[in-house]
Amino acid sequence: MRVMIVDDHPMWRDSVGRDLTEAGFEVVATVGEGAQALRIAGSVRPDVVVLDLQLPDVSGVDVTRGLVAAHPDIRVLILSASGEHRDVLDAVKAGAAGYIVKSASRAELIDAVRRTESGDAVFSPGLAGLVLGEFRRMAVSPDPNTPRLTDREAEILRMVGTGLSYKQIAERLVLSHRTVQNHVQNTLNKLQLHNRVDLVRYAIEHGLDSAPD
Amino acid sequence: MRGRSIYPICHWRLPAGLAACDYRLVPLPPSANLLPPVLSPRPVTNLQAPLWRSIAAFRFASLAYAAVSLLLPGRRAVYMHWGWAWGVLAVMTAWTVATTLLYRAPLYTKPTWRIRLLLAADVLVTAAAVLSTVFVQWPYYVRIGTMPVTATWLAGPALAWAVVGGVRAGAAAAIIIGGCVMGLRHLPAAKVMASSDVGGPVILLMAAMLAGYIAKLSSQAEQAMQSATEIVAASRERERLARTIHDSVLQVLAMVQRRGAELGGPAAEIGRLAGEQEAALRALITADDSMPPPDGELDLSAQLTRDAQAFVSVVTPAAPVLLSERAVWETTAAVREAVDNVRKHCGDGAHAWVLVDDEGTEVTVTIRDDGPGMPQGRLAEAAAEGRLGVSHAITGRMRDIGGSADISSIPGAGTEVRLRVPRMVQPNGQAALRWRDASNDR
Repeated sequence: MRVMIVDDHPMWRDSVGRDLTEAGFEVVATVGEGAQALRIAGSVRPDVVVLDLQLPDVSGVDVTRGLVAAHPDIRVLILSASGEHRDVLDAVKAGAAGYIVKSASRAELIDAVRRTESGDAVFSPGLAGLVLGEFRRMAVSPDPNTPRLTDREAEILRMVGTGLSYKQIAERLVLSHRTVQNHVQNTLNKLQLHNRVDLVRYAIEHGLDSAPD
Repeated sequence: MRGRSIYPICHWRLPAGLAACDYRLVPLPPSANLLPPVLSPRPVTNLQAPLWRSIAAFRFASLAYAAVSLLLPGRRAVYMHWGWAWGVLAVMTAWTVATTLLYRAPLYTKPTWRIRLLLAADVLVTAAAVLSTVFVQWPYYVRIGTMPVTATWLAGPALAWAVVGGVRAGAAAAIIIGGCVMGLRHLPAAKVMASSDVGGPVILLMAAMLAGYIAKLSSQAEQAMQSATEIVAASRERERLARTIHDSVLQVLAMVQRRGAELGGPAAEIGRLAGEQEAALRALITADDSMPPPDGELDLSAQLTRDAQAFVSVVTPAAPVLLSERAVWETTAAVREAVDNVRKHCGDGAHAWVLVDDEGTEVTVTIRDDGPGMPQGRLAEAAAEGRLGVSHAITGRMRDIGGSADISSIPGAGTEVRLRVPRMVQPNGQAALRWRDASNDR
């Protein structure tokens, strides 16, 4: 499996690269700048991009948006410091497949990369809290197109947010592991779809959809 | 990261400049002058420029008025030398153009000798033009107080003096020019004071003093604006530097935490400490000061994050969770008690999660640990025996703020404490909720 690492700190690039190589991944590129990542993604063709949100040139959110738009088959895993809530949420809405904090252990990182590659949403408790919060915020909107959480989805997000694993949640709710995973993935899909619809609506409202004169 | 610094900070535009910028004018601290040249913001637009423009406009308008009043029917009879009057008008025109050009540029802060010379010349030329009335009008008309050949144009230097030198200078020039006008009539002082003609010079005096007052205010405002922009620029720069430096420190601390945990043993303890410092430092630098919560409210998420120890993961929404100060303190204290309890009963290896879920009308805080949990009924048993301990403290705190606490446990799957905090409805119409929306729409 091919991995590209984007982080402006050489220390982190090396460390993450070493961990992933040792675990059997093929690290095809390590870059320190967002623009460079966007430029070379097409030629190095990674399966997974491990992306730090704090980059010196382009914001991690924009890198995510650019990568997902240009290469829909590339999956973006955000590896970022704790506390960058707003940016993490924006990156996930822009199409990132998962989020893991930098303080996570090596085993957690490797597991996250593997799961990202296989198409699972890597839902750390932190991300569950952010997604839940975003739905709560949108719940007050009178717009009928605003996505809502089902009670079951909210319940599961809360459980993920308090550190329970999918397996533990499945046991508690008497569901299959796969069903829990689908519910979680569903919340993310709703959010990303809504974000895209919002962008299109914004473009139409501001006349960005018509060709320039 | 929040609050990226963007130059320029504010586009000063005049005359609406003061109204358009929302910076409060603050007294200049001594440090503001110590800015390195690189940090100096762009110069603030000269607030006095519009004053000079209006004086120039006034002079041109008065000039036109003076010309018209020479042409009006019957006015020709007033003049002994109608042609000479046009000569005086030509001089006035030349002087108007000259003063408009010369007063336009001066971005001075203090009167220099050049500007003093210009001001003196202004008064002399104007006084000469006023006094020339004696030679161009019939003496009879001069004596009865007919309008001099300069008409209202004579007010120009009084206004100019006022803008440069303030109220007193303006008053002085107004008195000189007014004196010339009154002097034209060759009347004894007592008679002049009693006549109705004194009205014109008095209005001139008032206008000059008012202009002086406005000029003084505008120069004070200009200084204050200048220092405000400097302070803003300096603090933005400091923030930017701090963010860069802190980011490196944070990256290293996160790395120490990660590696320490992998190595185990004494290194794990170092890693744990590094993790705590990382969390504390990050909470400090990501504190969003750009929009402080309204009075009497606090962000529960920020408090809990700041308070958290390394074995606790605080999970919050991206937007601030605003509650009354009291509710935040009590909830934070309740969470602390629950977390301390986890540490006491579950040992060093335990981990705890604190989830903040803001449902609008109430906020739920769930504290869960991955310890061994308690058999069912154990809490009820303890309550029955009068050994309430921590659960009593927690429920007591929550009840005090109108909320509730619910403790449940499954053997083998840890203990879960769920706190419910109702959100107080603001008497002044849900100010808190509105603020939340604004901060989310960034």
